[in-house]
Amino acid sequence: MPTATINGKEVTVPRGTAIIRAAAMLGINVPHFCYHPALSAPANCRMCLVEVEKARKLEPACYLKVTDGMVVHTESEKVVAARQAVLEFILINHPVDCPICDQAGECKLQDYYMAYDAKPSRLTTGKVGKVKVYPIGPEVVYDGERCILCTRCVRFCDQITGTSELTVVDRGDRSEIRTFPGRELDNPYSMNVTDICPVGALTTRDFRFKCRVWLMTSTDSICTGCARGCSVHLDHYLGETQRYRPRFNPEVNEYWMCDEGRLSYKRLNANRSGALRVGERDDLSWPRAARMIAGALADAQLQPDQIAFVASADASTEALVAGHEYALNILRAGRFYWTGRADGEGDAFLRCADRNPNRAGLVHSFGEQILERGADRLLKDLKSGGIRALFMMSSALPFGREAVEELAAEARKLDIFILATSHAGSLSSAATVSLPVAKHSEQTGTWVNIDGVAQTVDAAYAPPGVAIADWDVYRRLAAGADAEWPLDSVDAIHARIFSDEAAE
Amino acid sequence: MLTDILLILLKIVAVVLLFAMPIGSLMTLLGDRKQSSMIQNRVGPNRARLSIIPGLGRLPLVGIPHFLADGLKMIFKEDAIPDGADRTWHNIVPAMALFPAIVMWAVIPFHDHYCTGEIVVQNYRDICVEGQTRNFFSIANLDAGLLYVFAISGVSVYGAAIAGWASNAKYSLIGGLRSSAQMISYEVSMALSVAGAILIYGTLNLNEMVVQQGHLIGGWLPMWGIVVQPLAFFIFLGAMMAETKRAPFDMPEGESEIVAGYFTEFSSMKFAVIQLSEYVATVFVGALIATIFLGGWQVPYLYGDGFHFGNTPTAALELPYWAVIALRIGAFSFKTIFILWLQFMLRWTLPRFRYDQVMNLGWKIFLPLSLANLVITAFVVAIL
Amino acid sequence: MAVTVTKIPRPDRSLWVQSYVPEVMRGLSITSKQFFKNLFTKKDVVTIQYPEVKRDYPERYRGLHRLMYRDDGQVRCVACMCCSTACPANCIHIEAAEHDDTSIEKYPAVFVIDELRCIVCGMCVEACPCDAIRMDSGIHTHPFYERDTAFFDKPALLELGGPSVAHQGGDMKGVQGHH
Repeated sequence: MPTATINGKEVTVPRGTAIIRAAAMLGINVPHFCYHPALSAPANCRMCLVEVEKARKLEPACYLKVTDGMVVHTESEKVVAARQAVLEFILINHPVDCPICDQAGECKLQDYYMAYDAKPSRLTTGKVGKVKVYPIGPEVVYDGERCILCTRCVRFCDQITGTSELTVVDRGDRSEIRTFPGRELDNPYSMNVTDICPVGALTTRDFRFKCRVWLMTSTDSICTGCARGCSVHLDHYLGETQRYRPRFNPEVNEYWMCDEGRLSYKRLNANRSGALRVGERDDLSWPRAARMIAGALADAQLQPDQIAFVASADASTEALVAGHEYALNILRAGRFYWTGRADGEGDAFLRCADRNPNRAGLVHSFGEQILERGADRLLKDLKSGGIRALFMMSSALPFGREAVEELAAEARKLDIFILATSHAGSLSSAATVSLPVAKHSEQTGTWVNIDGVAQTVDAAYAPPGVAIADWDVYRRLAAGADAEWPLDSVDAIHARIFSDEAAE
Repeated sequence: MLTDILLILLKIVAVVLLFAMPIGSLMTLLGDRKQSSMIQNRVGPNRARLSIIPGLGRLPLVGIPHFLADGLKMIFKEDAIPDGADRTWHNIVPAMALFPAIVMWAVIPFHDHYCTGEIVVQNYRDICVEGQTRNFFSIANLDAGLLYVFAISGVSVYGAAIAGWASNAKYSLIGGLRSSAQMISYEVSMALSVAGAILIYGTLNLNEMVVQQGHLIGGWLPMWGIVVQPLAFFIFLGAMMAETKRAPFDMPEGESEIVAGYFTEFSSMKFAVIQLSEYVATVFVGALIATIFLGGWQVPYLYGDGFHFGNTPTAALELPYWAVIALRIGAFSFKTIFILWLQFMLRWTLPRFRYDQVMNLGWKIFLPLSLANLVITAFVVAIL
Repeated sequence: MAVTVTKIPRPDRSLWVQSYVPEVMRGLSITSKQFFKNLFTKKDVVTIQYPEVKRDYPERYRGLHRLMYRDDGQVRCVACMCCSTACPANCIHIEAAEHDDTSIEKYPAVFVIDELRCIVCGMCVEACPCDAIRMDSGIHTHPFYERDTAFFDKPALLELGGPSVAHQGGDMKGVQGHH
């Protein structure tokens, strides 16, 4: 275990630790472009040069390993002068088109320039023109002029995905990032290169020109695209999610996420419904609607076997626990089913075949046996009759459009069809009661991923219209039925979940 | 009998519609707006045009179209009554404010009684021979004329007090209280200050007072009230301005503190009527001061048959009777408007008093001064 | 706790002043002087009769916004959102889009200014890196009968605009000496 002194502070690190890591342990940030903790260190950007005593010249902090008795200075006069020189070199051919660059505001080059250089260019000759708006992949756009050739993207494709699409072509100031002939950057994790790109050279086609980064607020959240539940930064502006960025979580996704999950944020914005509808009326308040629903259920005088409750593998654990409580004690349902999105393609890295974010939470609340009673069984039972009232937690179904229409047609025949949904669609128009609920970006909720990792997220912004959190729907319905309701807050539900776990 | 009633009605119509109201309402424009604009180096209202009348369409007409437009606007504005206000009193109160302001005009003489015969001037008085005197120029020739004025002006306090109370608003109530306190305080010195003049003239009949002011002291100085009772003139002017709540005594509607005082919650024509009653009362102050202290309808040296310089039986410059009447009514109007003008000048000259200063001035200065004035006058009258 | 009391002496006024009447007369003489002067000559009146007589605006008067254009008539704005970010009234709405011409790359597909909401502070002009937005039209915001007509879109703003001679991306001359 070598001990080094960095900026006068001592630190003991495992053998083989780079100076930049040791400095980070002390809370000292060494400016860098090409270094990434998950990738190899080529030490080609020269931005992390630091002064090591007894060394003849400045050394790259990302590459040089700490040895015992090493004395390092990261902010000495020499180091700062070197950084200024490196920045000036990089900026010789950089277009400085920050006003139209999507990276502006979260650009390393911009930040370091403001911190260390902040001088006008000395260049009097023209800049070298390179490729602009180059479609390097289906989801990624490349701008050669902005590129500082740190090769993070190249190393990502070599070392993380192992697909090796990218390389550096040409030499000197004509160097550019390109795909190998006949290839394009089309692996399922391709958009990660835009996150690791320190400048605006690689941008996603989806987020391009959509929103300036300084306008957005970032909330820690998760991706609900599949059972992996990758941790993300949910960047939102004016009550609308603008993008997901992977958030470092060593238990789940490290630094990465898949392209499909990254684009799954669109589900949070498109076709949302915030309207509360009971029969023909859509001007009701929640208490009023809850009383009408309770009254209608009481008037129908149904047997438990005629009432079905459909749980959703899409919902938060809180909603599933509250829904279970409601279905058993207030709705008095005798039949239970579950729905969720259909399975997709999975792989050994992050993507799961199970596209539902909370199957584990579903099993926790409703038991293992519910998994045998899926959407196909529900459709079959609806057709065979016997069900007169149906409560569905979500409109997410594993069917294609035709099957959904078929289910909607069957549901129209029911006496009572209550649907708690965040989206408008044929199913919600078939429902006698449509209850608007929030998405995971709009409520507090816990999702349990395929490996059993539970992640609780907070609301980033307010839900549309009169939509409320999933679990709150059951509290209000219970209040409408004048029934006792023990789960009247997220804390109460959490207490229930954790006491269950303790009992097991 | 019937002709008498018709005559009285005619006089009422003439006084109210041709004198009190027009001057009173025109003042809102010329006094409050145009005059103040000139004092303050502004232009004042000049944008509204009577474009429907050919020939006048492009002229500003010193801003008179603004006043017509305001009237039209007031008629069509919504009459808002605050929640919890006493609706009955709220509706009645503008009339209660306007009524005394108009009724007071009954005793103001615009000219001496009309003489059907020939006029002989004797000892500075017009004496009617071979004919009767007819009361054409004041609505009622009351012997207790001045007492009538004091009685009615005492009633006018109700308008403001009830307006403040009926609005169910704090500003209004404070304004109403202030106005009643102020009006009651100044009524005392108002009556006492003029008592000296009553002693000198020996009458309460306003027309008789004016006739006596035709006397020339030493054959050249008109014996106007301001000459024989200068102190009383200032006290009376101040007290009357306080009575009509004009600046600098406009505490009841002190807009910097209580928005508009007792009429804060009045809108549309109700507001206009209250405002009009204030202006009519202000004009009345002018008329009353002109009557008591500025010789009323008297023109110096002018008597029934023409100008007399000294106590002579024949006129030095003979004039026909109609010309004398015209001159005298003109003089009275001029004096009234002069006092008005003076009140508006004072408004833009003096800052508003503090409330304790208003009370101090009324009780500690005006009251002792008017008492002293009365005592001294009484001694002088007794000795002479 | 001791309270410090400052005694302010009553102003020492002579009986002449305290009797009020002479001082009122003095005040009246000032106001009457002004009154008669303006009644007969209008000499001191400072009012400008606005619609007929207009005051000359200062050179840097901030009027309605205008969008400048390039030599080829394209809008100079590159939709960087600096102006809408700087705007304290949030009155600028821009939707960026990709331009067919790769030399332009980014341009505003929608550029709307709510002139009713604008507080005429000029921050957008200060923020603009491209000399694309200016407020030197000299036209002040006039009243609108309908709220919709107060939204000035790109064509309306360009109509007020003119060509800008500023070098797109900054002037490179003189930089050497500065360094």
